[in-house]
Amino acid sequence: MKVEGEISVGAPRKEVFSRLSDAHFFASCIDGVSDLTEIDSTHYSALFATKIAYMRFNFKVNVEMSRIAPPSEIEAKVEGTPMGAVGRLTATATTQLGERDGQTDIRYAIDATLTGKLGSIGQPVLKAKAKEMEKQFAARLQAAFASGAESAP
Amino acid sequence: MTPFELIEPQSLKEAVALIDPDDPTVRPIAGGTALMLMMKAGVFQPSRLISLRKVDNDLSGIKAEGGALTIGALTPLAELEHSAEVAKYTPVIPRIMPRLSNVRVRNVATVGGALAHGDPHMDLPPVAMALAGRVRIVGAGGERELPVEDLLTGYYETALSPNELIASLTIPAQGKARAAYMKVTAGAADDWPALGVAVAVEAEGGRIGSARVVVSAATPKATRLASVEKLLAGANLDDKTLKAAGDAAAEEAEIIGDVRGSAAYKRELLRVTMGRALRAAAGARP
Amino acid sequence: MNAPPAAKQIGRSLPRLEARAKVTGRAEYTHTMRLPGMLSCKLLRSTVAHGRIKSIDVSEARKLPGVFGVYTGEDVKKVIPDPYYGPAFHDQPILALGKVHYVGEPVAAVLAEDPHVAEQAAQLIAADYEELPAVFDEVEAAENKTIVHEGLKPATTFADLKHLKGAKNTNCALDFKLRRGDADKAFAGAAQVFEHTFKTQKVLHLAFEPHASIADYKDDGVTIYSASQGPSFVRTEIARLLGWPENLVRIKVPYLGAGYGGKLYIKLEALALALSMLARRPVKVALTMDEVFYTITKHPSTFSIKTGVDKDGRIVARQCDVWWNGGAYADIGPRVTQKSGFTASGPYDIDNVSIDSYALYTNLPPAGALRGFGIPQLVWAYESHTDMIARALDRDPLDFRRQNLLRDGRPHATGTILKDVAIEKVLDTIAERMNWDAPFDRGSGTIRRGRGLAIGLKAVISPTTSVAIVNVSADGSVTVYCGTIDMGQGSDTAMAQMVGEVLNMQAESIRIVPRDTDVTPYDMGTLGSRSLFHMGHAVRLAAEEAKAKIAQLARDVGEPEGSNAPLRDLFVKKYGMQAGNIVGTGIYKPDYTPPDPATGQTPNATPFWMTAGAGAEIEVDTETGQLRVTRLVNVADVGTPINPKVVETQLSGAALMQLGFTLFEKMQIDGGQVTNASLADYKIPGIHDVPAAMENEAVEAYQSNGPFGAKGVGELATFGVSPAIANAIEDAVGVRLTELPLTPEAVFRGLRAKAGQPLEDE
Repeated sequence: MKVEGEISVGAPRKEVFSRLSDAHFFASCIDGVSDLTEIDSTHYSALFATKIAYMRFNFKVNVEMSRIAPPSEIEAKVEGTPMGAVGRLTATATTQLGERDGQTDIRYAIDATLTGKLGSIGQPVLKAKAKEMEKQFAARLQAAFASGAESAP
Repeated sequence: MTPFELIEPQSLKEAVALIDPDDPTVRPIAGGTALMLMMKAGVFQPSRLISLRKVDNDLSGIKAEGGALTIGALTPLAELEHSAEVAKYTPVIPRIMPRLSNVRVRNVATVGGALAHGDPHMDLPPVAMALAGRVRIVGAGGERELPVEDLLTGYYETALSPNELIASLTIPAQGKARAAYMKVTAGAADDWPALGVAVAVEAEGGRIGSARVVVSAATPKATRLASVEKLLAGANLDDKTLKAAGDAAAEEAEIIGDVRGSAAYKRELLRVTMGRALRAAAGARP
Repeated sequence: MNAPPAAKQIGRSLPRLEARAKVTGRAEYTHTMRLPGMLSCKLLRSTVAHGRIKSIDVSEARKLPGVFGVYTGEDVKKVIPDPYYGPAFHDQPILALGKVHYVGEPVAAVLAEDPHVAEQAAQLIAADYEELPAVFDEVEAAENKTIVHEGLKPATTFADLKHLKGAKNTNCALDFKLRRGDADKAFAGAAQVFEHTFKTQKVLHLAFEPHASIADYKDDGVTIYSASQGPSFVRTEIARLLGWPENLVRIKVPYLGAGYGGKLYIKLEALALALSMLARRPVKVALTMDEVFYTITKHPSTFSIKTGVDKDGRIVARQCDVWWNGGAYADIGPRVTQKSGFTASGPYDIDNVSIDSYALYTNLPPAGALRGFGIPQLVWAYESHTDMIARALDRDPLDFRRQNLLRDGRPHATGTILKDVAIEKVLDTIAERMNWDAPFDRGSGTIRRGRGLAIGLKAVISPTTSVAIVNVSADGSVTVYCGTIDMGQGSDTAMAQMVGEVLNMQAESIRIVPRDTDVTPYDMGTLGSRSLFHMGHAVRLAAEEAKAKIAQLARDVGEPEGSNAPLRDLFVKKYGMQAGNIVGTGIYKPDYTPPDPATGQTPNATPFWMTAGAGAEIEVDTETGQLRVTRLVNVADVGTPINPKVVETQLSGAALMQLGFTLFEKMQIDGGQVTNASLADYKIPGIHDVPAAMENEAVEAYQSNGPFGAKGVGELATFGVSPAIANAIEDAVGVRLTELPLTPEAVFRGLRAKAGQPLEDE
């Protein structure tokens, strides 16, 4: 499953990069992430909880900041297992930052695979969920930086 | 599937009382066609299921009164398919049934389930919405009524509190309104639709009075398209209007791509299907 | 004999003998069987497509009340030291060992009396993997950059796989070659050369009854109840795994809820055996429908085909490169690669042919036989390609085919002379039924009509053996022992008709005993449309021997020649009471010459050729790309139909199955995970999808070396459906699709591209 989009925030690229490479800030933009723990400077563990209607899903995830190339690129790899069901979540998220008139264009792409029982059914609903999360992510990101930003997913 | 407790209350009040609003592993079950899929896949593991099968019979059956059709929430879809009342009051509904899943599912799946499940691929909710249907909801704190469009809030999401149950669906008689539902599948004829379009149009002499227009399946929830309804109000039912309606629909709808079609394709399907649904409605018997 | 002479049994449209038991719910299936003391198994399946197993923690699962035991591949090794199986390669472990090779591969098994407890416990097992790079596409796999198996382990069964023993750094489980004439030279001299590539998707059998096996292991023998299409093979393979003689292994097969090739060789039998050995109790392994998606599928394929034609439109050369995506375990893939591969150049008379056919390992659920054994994938490509050439040459597609058709008496690409194949008659009949020469209504406005046809050729798999016994009891009643599995195709009825024909008895009065390897003799397997021919001969021979013995008995007891004495009286005269038996046996194995490994040439590739084709009329909605098949004509050469009604339903059933594979069925796979593994999301054709007009015909034909002039039918109507529809789409709207399935979106995108306005993704 691939999710791609682009948003603009009203802050200089350097500032955006520095905040985005802070895992705590980044995690705070994703709905449902808690208990972020630093293992070392590039590895973290966290809990991720999400709910679709009456169904609740909890994942233990490990995050590796696999590539930090200032001032324009951050790549993170995520591996997780759902609690209470057999499965595996793997994702690679890349973020590219471009500068434009004092604004920063954030281009993001997430390539995620969910295997096991959760992955074998319900792809449309997971996709819808991903889209919803993406919207929230963009909104939080924009709220965190200066106002006047525009969204172009 | 893991073991769970099954309770069969005799009344709706009793059923509501048995639901623990803070425990998501307690769920009501009616026909079970959707819930069982979740359970078999292991994504939902109930601790307790409250079967509505033995709940008193005013929850099942079809009544025509006061110029409206009231359908008990536990009425199986197959009953709508064959009911003389439904054919008379809302002729569009029996017409959608043959391709709504299959006869085995229609025999057990209920009207209340189709609405409460919140799956945007269901065929009945967009039609009920286009026909200005309302649901009566019974909860711990009493009863309330909601238009179907306010019931559906997102993909698998509804306005129902965990301890509320749908008691019935009321649909005003179509009267002079003509309605149509277009189910477009990418695969087998009875597959989940890639796109659903439901319309109800009141027109006189080729001039549209008002229209209710709903898109489903391609969108996260069955959704009324305000721009299309506005455009149609007072317009002549001609090719130009139909094309404009299609374009407005394609412009307004929030479309999700999936294995049944890319978002770009579904948008083009909607552009074409909107006009066809309106034309079909114009030609449909009232 | 006292019975009045029976009417002719061959050619009777007799209702299937077991129909009543099935529709009244009385027929027995493995999936619903229980044995006293039986445990149920549920599996933990791999969540990575390719990885090394770092650890499997079963402690939590073991603690769950009601769990009898939890087992991994290492436990299996304690009872079966070398736990690998497979018909072509011994590559598939009973439970994963060391590595996992696809998402969904069985990794650990839980046993409990209550299957729900077992299922719950399976969710509590924690397996940890070191993920390795995975390869999913067959053409990429051929580049051997990501290697699925570290070394190849061919079984000893097939001589042409021996050279692959121990091969490393390859995903290729067989590279079959055929060379006839000089293709390079012919291409150089050709007036025009055409080259196209076609692809097919991953689909699966979806038999009504999911796979199920029950093993009851004792120290002095094992009985396995299994939904299997090939109990003789299962017995041999289980005996090999145990190091036992075959007579200690008993395989019993009740009725099958269909098979379509998905229940051949070992599926769950070895797992049930190993678990029964570990538990010392009967163990049942019965899959849910979603687990079937991780068990066996059809081969996805890529087929690059190149054809040279001379100035008169004669095909002078054809080059075929076929890549078969076999998934993580070879199963019967190498046989698909060769036995179907050698017909990749199609039913055309071509002097210069070059075929390369490759079986490839990938990190997907395994692929095996599925109704057609690779032929539908080939016909899809070569008949689409043939149509494209005809159009490019501005020739009528029927006329172009007729010009190049391989006719009876001419050598096939293998060098084998084509015999008893009504290929012209099949093509002519399709054309006639389609009214091909008459003007065709091409539709108007947004509905455009088109028509297409296609024809395919298959050689039945050879060499294979069938053995049968006909037992005449002292009251004159007859029992037949044959290993052919009746999985809905009506074989019991056909066998009874053939025995009845020989013994001059009503087929309804003849009993076919349930399959049980302690009772029913050897049969290679119910597959590849082989049973009616091979087992048909075996039961015919057995019945003829019994008939000769009855005549001898009559002479022994002094009956005059031509006497009509009741059979029972003969036994009473001989044995002094109603006692004794007459037993006739029949063994059939046709002649066969293996192909030359370098050129694929053989004078005797097969005992019989199969041909069938389809004609389709369709409507395309140019605004949506939606397609409606308004007419589907299926024509086949089945030799003499033993049971015309069953022949017709086999033709229509196969055509509808292929219609699903053509129009919409597809296993959606994301990162190795099948994402539509349920009947809620993976739809097969239903009653509304049956074409408005559907015609099925078996042309008048006679297979001279067949039993009563007959040959097999099960796969035939799958051949032509996909290309006939693709050809009709081009005919209707000028859009050529080269990848299955032919979805409305693909048609729509083609229409937009053709109009110079390609659909842009959002």
